Amino acid sequence: MISPQRRALVAKEFRQVLRSRGAVLSATLLPVLLILIIPLAEILGMRGSSTPLNLPVGTPLPPGLEGLTGNPSQFFVQVMLPLFITLGGLIVPSISATYTVVAERESRSLELLIALPVRLQDILLAKLVAMLALATIVVVPLFAVDAVVLLALGTASPGYVGLLFVVLVAAVTCSIGIALLLALLARDFRTANNLNGAMSGPLILLTLAVLVVVPGEARLLALTAVLAAAGIGAYVVGLRWLTFERYLA
Amino acid sequence: MTRVVPNGLAAREPALALAGVSKRYRNKALALDDVTWSIELGARVCLLGPNGAGKTTCIRLFEGALQPTTGHVELLGTAVGSPKYLAARRRTGIVPQGPGMYADVTVGEYLGLALRLYGRGDLSRVVAVFDLGQHRDKMLAQLSGGYQRRVVLAAALLGEPDLLLLDEPTVGLDPVATHDVHAFLKEAMEGRTTLLCTHNLAEAEALCDEVVILREGKVLIHAPLADMRQRAGPQLLLAARQGVEPLLAALRKRGQSASVAGEDDAVLVPLEDAPSQAPNLLRALLAEGLDIYRCEPSRATLEDLFLDLVRSKQ
Repeated sequence: MISPQRRALVAKEFRQVLRSRGAVLSATLLPVLLILIIPLAEILGMRGSSTPLNLPVGTPLPPGLEGLTGNPSQFFVQVMLPLFITLGGLIVPSISATYTVVAERESRSLELLIALPVRLQDILLAKLVAMLALATIVVVPLFAVDAVVLLALGTASPGYVGLLFVVLVAAVTCSIGIALLLALLARDFRTANNLNGAMSGPLILLTLAVLVVVPGEARLLALTAVLAAAGIGAYVVGLRWLTFERYLA
Repeated sequence: MTRVVPNGLAAREPALALAGVSKRYRNKALALDDVTWSIELGARVCLLGPNGAGKTTCIRLFEGALQPTTGHVELLGTAVGSPKYLAARRRTGIVPQGPGMYADVTVGEYLGLALRLYGRGDLSRVVAVFDLGQHRDKMLAQLSGGYQRRVVLAAALLGEPDLLLLDEPTVGLDPVATHDVHAFLKEAMEGRTTLLCTHNLAEAEALCDEVVILREGKVLIHAPLADMRQRAGPQLLLAARQGVEPLLAALRKRGQSASVAGEDDAVLVPLEDAPSQAPNLLRALLAEGLDIYRCEPSRATLEDLFLDLVRSKQ
């Protein structure tokens, strides 16, 4: 059960995130583009299309793409859609972390918070919960629209849509782990943005690699495993290094 | 190190204690060097020292924001970082040194958060005491410096703490705001153990009973202010139209020790019994042709004692 103290901290953090127009706009617009507009435009545009991808004969393909080149709609749903959903899930918490954690460090208002009887773990937990709440509010409705369209058109099975949702949850969880590291390492917006790119870049490449290398049903399970491992790794490193001294530095 | 514990306090529980504490930062700077001192419950102690002496490091150790490199830190009888530490923190009000202010948290929200974290307190009372009623819906960053400090003080006092840790509570404030904060502090410190970290020696003298002086991470002295004043002894303050140097030369010729006073245009002469010794000394100086226009008995201020102590140990 969450103590009243923790609830008060979470409420503070969530209020601050919602008051930050930059955070809300950035954390909303990009996922809208990545999870909603691009996928729906592609899915609806390719409906009924049976034109195969225009690849030279004999082009070697990685295992994950074999058998998909003849069906552009399935290629999008099985390779590109998981990529867009992963990107959407990764973006929201890292953007809100930049605004809530780094802004507090940069303005030194964190000193006001630690003057009160509070533990560092509770401060960070509240921030992470606020990020998770914002991510849930933003990405879950967007994903729900995708899911309804995919199921209505019969482009994907309910099981596959469920797996896509698991990928989204793993991406959000992973991004919150990265946000924890960001909170420890970045002291200003510029550093936060650079570090965000440095941490998310390899992860995006890894996501792409998994999608094109792993074939069939295992593709999304492998992607979930990679995102979960990256997230857990970030949590372990973050919690091992977490001290007030580092956080306040 | 001179350590004088006020009579009758030795047997009491220490409210704050540092035992063999050293603190080396990650940049290798040594902020505290094997420091041991404690203050008793009910004491109002001022922590003094030049910049970089280790004052804020001490406050941050008690606050739990730093961990000592070596040694042991206790707050209200509880080891900092132990499972019971949070309960001790709930009995402690802290005013940090010039904190940044939230641009997206209102006064009411911050005080509400403090109330929830302390788990007790009378919000409407502190709002009334600190005259914050009309500012409750303003963002903290929109307040003037004086009102920002009031909010921080209000939050620190909200939980009716047994102990106050004040890190330069008036730094950066204009004289009017400083006066207001002093008035609040005087009332708040009544009956509460207080550690006041300040550069303002007049503030320390007005608000505290004991002093701990740090320099380069070591304790130079820990003593009651009354003892320090007594140790300084009575003095005679003299000023001559000819200036300080001729006056000092005339005094030295008579075998009388003297030093330049803090205000620079006068000298301080230590005298055991000013009423009986001063007339003779004054007559002799006038006879030597010095135009003495000021001659008055004086007690060393904390500033005199502090400067004397810090300079003499360098």
